[in-house]
Amino acid sequence: MSEPKRLHPATMIFNLVMALRSTIFIFVLIFVTLYDTHLFYAILAAVLLVGFLFLGSFLSWSRFTYRIEGEELRLEYGILVRKKRYISKNRIQSIDLTQNVLHRIFKLAKVEIETAGTGAEAEASLIAVTLEEGEALRAELKSIVKVEELADDTETIIPSQSISKKRLLVAGATSGRIGVLLALGGAAFSELERFIPANFYDQAYNWAIGLGLIILALMVVGIILFLWLVGIAGTIIKYWNFTISKVEEDIVITCGLLEKKHITIPLKRIQAIGHVENLIRQPLGFTTVIAEIAGGSNDKGEQFSTVLFPMIKIEEVDAFLEEFLPEYLTNRQEIKPLPKRSLKYYLFRMIVPALVLLAAVFFILPQFVWIPIVILAASVVLGILQYKDSGYVIEGNRITLRYRVFSKVTMIMNHKRIQAFNKKQHILHRKERLATTQLSIVGKMGMGKHYHVKELDEKAVDEMSDWYSCREG
Amino acid sequence: MRKPPIHTISHDAIKAWRITAILYEAIAWVITIIGIVLHFVVDFPLWIVLILIAVSVVSTYFTVFLLPKLRWKRWRYEVFEQEIYIQHGILVVSRTLIPMIRVQHVETEQGPILKKFDLASVSISTAATTHQIPALSNEVASDLRDKISALARVDEDDV
Repeated sequence: MSEPKRLHPATMIFNLVMALRSTIFIFVLIFVTLYDTHLFYAILAAVLLVGFLFLGSFLSWSRFTYRIEGEELRLEYGILVRKKRYISKNRIQSIDLTQNVLHRIFKLAKVEIETAGTGAEAEASLIAVTLEEGEALRAELKSIVKVEELADDTETIIPSQSISKKRLLVAGATSGRIGVLLALGGAAFSELERFIPANFYDQAYNWAIGLGLIILALMVVGIILFLWLVGIAGTIIKYWNFTISKVEEDIVITCGLLEKKHITIPLKRIQAIGHVENLIRQPLGFTTVIAEIAGGSNDKGEQFSTVLFPMIKIEEVDAFLEEFLPEYLTNRQEIKPLPKRSLKYYLFRMIVPALVLLAAVFFILPQFVWIPIVILAASVVLGILQYKDSGYVIEGNRITLRYRVFSKVTMIMNHKRIQAFNKKQHILHRKERLATTQLSIVGKMGMGKHYHVKELDEKAVDEMSDWYSCREG
Repeated sequence: MRKPPIHTISHDAIKAWRITAILYEAIAWVITIIGIVLHFVVDFPLWIVLILIAVSVVSTYFTVFLLPKLRWKRWRYEVFEQEIYIQHGILVVSRTLIPMIRVQHVETEQGPILKKFDLASVSISTAATTHQIPALSNEVASDLRDKISALARVDEDDV
């Protein structure tokens, strides 16, 4: 494999699509400013720009070569500034193959190679190579046997678990994505608002009044139902056929309907394991298992923790951990709760913003005062839940923290993964012998990730610090 | 973690912090003076000028006279063979433990104000966090840096 190779020619299409996507606002600008006066020039400019982008796509494809030489992967690329990047094999942490719809039409795959380094982008990313080539590359660079081949081998059993269709549907129905969709819709609307003529609102208002209340309510319900279904579809497309397996020292995850993802997580890089129950899933007894992974790229807006399993019964978490991550198996039933005297701090934090809102609405829009009252009641309930769910337990060299912002989060950390320990107290805390604890671990992109449990008993925090402290005697 | 760390930082820290605070407050006072001038020249509203004066007076009292002393009093550190122990904070007291084996690098820094008092600050970085001990005397800071650097050995299992 020492001959320099080019990527698959389809890379040009990918490059062009990417370039068009990032310059789309220029096209919009050209047409908006020149539409009325000089349409011909607008079209000419657009054609020139597309031609220029196409040339760029072609050049960047033709200048990009890769080869494996000795123990290194060598990339050469760059149009004006030629760059050479050599990545040593034993520095490579993971090699991920992904396929979006376009890749699958041409039977191609995108190869992303990550090292422990920090940064938003993968160390090396081969936009499109044939699937066989991608698999060969992975085998060569990682020198591990392919999952399928291992499966044929009867002697080694690889632990593996897939999500059932029914669970996936439940996951979609309870994902809470509807909130995100509403926010996105709102943002899109505020952008489009400029193009809506002013009298549209009056017409729409008169039209809506004419329809009557029942039809209006039905429409609102219909929209919410539609968004909910879109959310379900989104979850199903994302986590379709979600399978996690453990191959030697790696966790391998494959999922996706339109875009097939293949994620490799070396066990060494896992910093913490946890499970999250949002407010809808918790009463149903379902949870999502997540992992915090050090380094790596922040792929495709996935700022959150890596999902190890999207939907699992809470009772099954222990079995899941035992199968895949036995060192994170803890006795989470014995979590020590907060002392009673810390409840007032939790309530205070939740109630004050709600009260401010209430006061503001009361003076400005008194007819809508019921909205902040509902929010206030919800805040009190959430505050009590936050208080009830917070706690910790120490077992051997593992610590389990539990807290809630909206979702209930349980995180399990290993002593050797915790980078620093912090105890905070303000004046009132000191009088009441309470303290807030913060544990820091390494998160995505090499940034610190900090976990807090607020208003623990001071004794508990001291117990934690004694547990954490490496001092002898 | 029950006892606070034993070492305090250099007493000159108070002076250095005061000078820094004075430089920042100077900006506030310049704005206030512009406000006063504008009031007499173009009838700039009086209440805004009064608020500016009040804010400048109060913030100057706090940042120049009160806080540096309190801050100095609370700032403590102690370096053990296995870990570093830091305490700081005026209203919210924060105590931090950093195990030596988690320390990735340590550095000393010296800005123009610290230089004037022959002071330096020491920054200790782990893979996830950075902690700074401000305003130690130059000599203490260098010794501390060398000591931590010698004691810090990164675990081979680490990322």
